[in-house]
Amino acid sequence: MKGVLTYIHRDFVKWIRYRVGLVSALVLPAAWLLFVGLALPVQFTGNYLDFITPGILVMTILTTGISSGSLLMFDKILGYLNKFLAMPVPRESILVSKILFITVRGIIQTTIILIIAVLIGATILNPAQYGLTYLILFLFGVFISAFSTTVALYLDDHDSFAAFTAMVTMPLFFTSSALMPYDVMPGWLRAIARVNPLSFAIDAIREVGTGTIPVLSITMLALFAAVVVVISGHVFRKVTV
Amino acid sequence: MSAIQTDDLTKNFGSLCAVDGLTLEVNREIFGLLGPNGSGKTTTVLMLTTLLSQTKGSAGICGHDTVREPDRVRSCISYVPQDMAVDTNLTGRENVLIFARLYGVPNPKDRVDELLAVMGLSDRADDLAKTYSGGMRRRLELAEALVHEPEVIFLDEPTLGLDVGARKTIWDHIHALNRKGMTIFVTTHYMDEADQFCDRVGIIDHGKIAALGRPSELKARLMKDVITVVVDGDYSPIQIEGTLLIGRSGDEISFTAENGREALPVLADALSRAGNRVRAMSLREPSLDDVFLQSVGRQEEAQGFEEWRYRMMLRGRA
Repeated sequence: MKGVLTYIHRDFVKWIRYRVGLVSALVLPAAWLLFVGLALPVQFTGNYLDFITPGILVMTILTTGISSGSLLMFDKILGYLNKFLAMPVPRESILVSKILFITVRGIIQTTIILIIAVLIGATILNPAQYGLTYLILFLFGVFISAFSTTVALYLDDHDSFAAFTAMVTMPLFFTSSALMPYDVMPGWLRAIARVNPLSFAIDAIREVGTGTIPVLSITMLALFAAVVVVISGHVFRKVTV
Repeated sequence: MSAIQTDDLTKNFGSLCAVDGLTLEVNREIFGLLGPNGSGKTTTVLMLTTLLSQTKGSAGICGHDTVREPDRVRSCISYVPQDMAVDTNLTGRENVLIFARLYGVPNPKDRVDELLAVMGLSDRADDLAKTYSGGMRRRLELAEALVHEPEVIFLDEPTLGLDVGARKTIWDHIHALNRKGMTIFVTTHYMDEADQFCDRVGIIDHGKIAALGRPSELKARLMKDVITVVVDGDYSPIQIEGTLLIGRSGDEISFTAENGREALPVLADALSRAGNRVRAMSLREPSLDDVFLQSVGRQEEAQGFEEWRYRMMLRGRA
């Protein structure tokens, strides 16, 4: 545990000092919120900002999470990983620290987005609802960061990983329920959106907004996250021994 | 109990045998592992530092088996790879503090101060590591490697890419550590450094030890003088009594002779008669380079070009 915290601290300080990355990760979701959430003339829902905010929150976790899978890859190709692996600290703590760091970082960024959303007119929820929202975002964050870390360990070079994230992010976002409800989607899109893991998280947060507790969605997300973490651990052991 | 002991240590990658039955004992000394690229140096170090498991044989560090008790081994070693992996956006102090925390050292802050002072980095301790020179980064890595007072340190090419002064400083530190009883296992390309600073060297080629001993002993195995000949065009081999061909490196051909001054004209004559166009000849004492050439032969560029390394270099990382 001490190892995990030290590794997280290291990544955290590096992140804070890398100010461009800090800002750039917020620009895209903030722009969506402002330009699409406020400006798009939609008829299917009353407060479109309330509708789109869960989608943008999950998108923030997605974009910041998916690219930072390369954190572990960079440690590997720059030689840090071998130093860490030659230490008596449990080896898995490196992987666990990356997944947690990326998730927590995503949560911090979604908090900023959430504040912007409220400032420009999104409905304020009660504390329990925010708690559940964070739980959902956390589970989704673990899912995404473990997934992207696993892919980064497989791909092993920076350019192909960048290509992978570019290829995955936008299609995942557009084929989810982020921008429109299922009943206004064309049939083919609805079929994809129903199985898109992003939709699970987005729909769950929307349910929280209406006052219900989405037990099934949360269980499913926890299950997804657990499966990907186990796979990730397996790949990590394979790559490091 | 030896600091490092290997018995028939072997590593195969598919059909390629990277390390072939290495049996070695290293104890409280500065041991240099020399060899051309791809000869198995790094593979050996990776196995000894528990980063790679062997195909056959065994290795023990301070009496602990690297496969059965990896955590025990990891507690008594430090490994400094050649990549110069320091976090450039952290200060020198922060870099070392991470290691002190990871090793669970008591009073990590005091320990870090102490080590930064030993490595002569105190006055720059709170500057970001990206402002450090290559030599300072290496010293910072040494400070990191020393936080838990390891018994054995593995250094992979510790002076690669450093200027002459910085190399000297690094070797001075290595010597100081050795005097305190630490075993130092170094891989290097620089024969002159190995000759000057290592107590013993092992020359490894195709995964096998080709020569092992004190640099002076190894040099003594050659005859007293070395004659190096530069020829234009192709070299037609010759045989003369009293001289022995060491090997060839580029357009330089080296011979060893018991009495170089007398062998010189004989050699020149024989070379011309065999149809060689001799451009230059020189006479000198044997160096570890000659031992290397004799044991390993001509050094070839075996390693592939690593693009990311090149790019990191452009960004000033390495």
